[in-house]
Amino acid sequence: MIWLSWRLQRTETLVALVILALLTAWLVPTGLDMWNAYQHSGLGACIVHQAPRCDMDIGLFRARFGGISSLASWFNLIPGLIGVLLAAPLVSDLENGTYRLAWTQSITRRRWLLGKLGLAVVSALLAAGGLIALFSWWRTPEAQLDGRLDNGVFGTTGIVMLGYTLFALGFALALGAVWRRTAASLLVGFVAYVAARLMVEFKVRDHLVAAVHATWKGRPPASMDNANVLSFVATVHGHTVLNTGPFSGGNVKFQAPGLGHAIFHAVYQPESHFWPLQLTETALFAGVALLLIAFAAWRVLRTD
Amino acid sequence: MTAALEASGLGRRYGSQWALRDCTLEIPRGSVTALVGPNGAGKTTLLRLAVGLTRPSAGSVRVLGLDPHDDAAEALPRVGFLAQEHPLYGGFTVDEMLRVGRQLNPGWDDAAARARIAELDLPLKKKVRSLSGGQRAQVALTLALAKRPELLLLDEPVASLDPLARREFMQSVLEAVAEREMTVVLSSHIVADLERVCDHLVILATGRTQLVGSIEDIVASHRLLTGPRDGSEDVTRVHDVVRETHAERQTTLLVRANGHVYDARWTVHELDLEEIVLAYLGQDAARRREAVAS
Repeated sequence: MIWLSWRLQRTETLVALVILALLTAWLVPTGLDMWNAYQHSGLGACIVHQAPRCDMDIGLFRARFGGISSLASWFNLIPGLIGVLLAAPLVSDLENGTYRLAWTQSITRRRWLLGKLGLAVVSALLAAGGLIALFSWWRTPEAQLDGRLDNGVFGTTGIVMLGYTLFALGFALALGAVWRRTAASLLVGFVAYVAARLMVEFKVRDHLVAAVHATWKGRPPASMDNANVLSFVATVHGHTVLNTGPFSGGNVKFQAPGLGHAIFHAVYQPESHFWPLQLTETALFAGVALLLIAFAAWRVLRTD
Repeated sequence: MTAALEASGLGRRYGSQWALRDCTLEIPRGSVTALVGPNGAGKTTLLRLAVGLTRPSAGSVRVLGLDPHDDAAEALPRVGFLAQEHPLYGGFTVDEMLRVGRQLNPGWDDAAARARIAELDLPLKKKVRSLSGGQRAQVALTLALAKRPELLLLDEPVASLDPLARREFMQSVLEAVAEREMTVVLSSHIVADLERVCDHLVILATGRTQLVGSIEDIVASHRLLTGPRDGSEDVTRVHDVVRETHAERQTTLLVRANGHVYDARWTVHELDLEEIVLAYLGQDAARRREAVAS
């Protein structure tokens, strides 16, 4: 059964490996560049010691690598791509009627399903693991500057990609179990993945862990460095003089002239919430993924 | 010894539509049974129920004394099944298909499978997708046979094949039956294919069983009677009329005779299997037309 599942997933595994290889081919040279610039320009040391000439170094670094790192938000699509891809072997078995061949050999359909789903899930986790290792290394210098809570970055650091990949896999499997059409299930599964990611990013993530409310005069609290700010208001004598929308990243410097007497009020996710946020979001996606996979399994076992 | 296949009140419903209804039959071990019926009569459904691919909505089915669904782990190794479309993994080579069979079946007879493939001149290294329909059917049959099943179920095995491939396929089935003790049930709507191979017959019509028995008994008991336009009551009271046609002066009856026909006014003709089957299927078609009209 393991050989058969593997043989039926060979093409998809190959495609996933090609995606990973292409990524590596691009990430390793650009990543080395960034690491070099970060370490040899003294930027790393300067950030650690909070030296005053940091601002210029940061500016230079941003000017050089800003283009690359804004490109990097596209990486958020890759877990979805690999996830739906790994659903293909099972769905195409349903589409082509070859599941009937397997189910009328000597093994029970339960074992058949366990073999196929097991391999798909393990492959998804391995692929996500590879992506995590690759991106985390690549992101490290930049994360020192901007933190890891920025929406473009959060999804490609930490462990949350495990949840994303499983979710895409589960969604495509559930669709395919009902629909029995491979190409359509994969496509719609991918679109659903993007929709779910956007929804969580803009509507859900900020509420996964209770945000910090802070009010101060003068210097902002240290925990606001690299924070993900949800709202930021400045008042002078009870009148609102500044009201920014959400923003994230960077060392917050709000010593704006004329706001010397202002009282600031901010709601934000400090960088210390990074791991709680990662764990909750991973659990959210992985949990929904497991429900979807369980539904797919139930549906497939009822097929005739 | 339990029957190879036993159905009682068996039915399967999809939505509000019954694909098979009220099917009661018993197929003895060692027989080669033809399952005949028009398209949509429930032949495929019956075979799928028998191999546990689907579950009954009503009644029960047992193969070799086992429930094909609940006792799947025990029943599956002993039942071979060949679906109508001969599903195989298109991207696999013939060799890889044999590997699939070997890995999924503990009773797999690899030597016999390879000998069969060699004998049929099937290229081991070629992809299944690039084989002809006849060759694919043979690969699928090889898979079902090498499992060494006690009961082999073939669903319209030759429907998609050209006449030559059809003949070769049926020949293969015959040889397999001759080689080792095995019960075979094969469905078809082409009677000529079956007569050569089968010794039992099941006629399935509008989702119900209509006739079950050995072909010998069936041929022996059916007669075509021609006689006067009036006065067929004496005959119809004793014998079961399958088909009745009236001309201006005479009546023709196709009956399942319960004993001899003594009435001298009737001429008695013997029938071949095809005529009998067609009469039953015609009766079914007429009944369906009535059902639609009413």
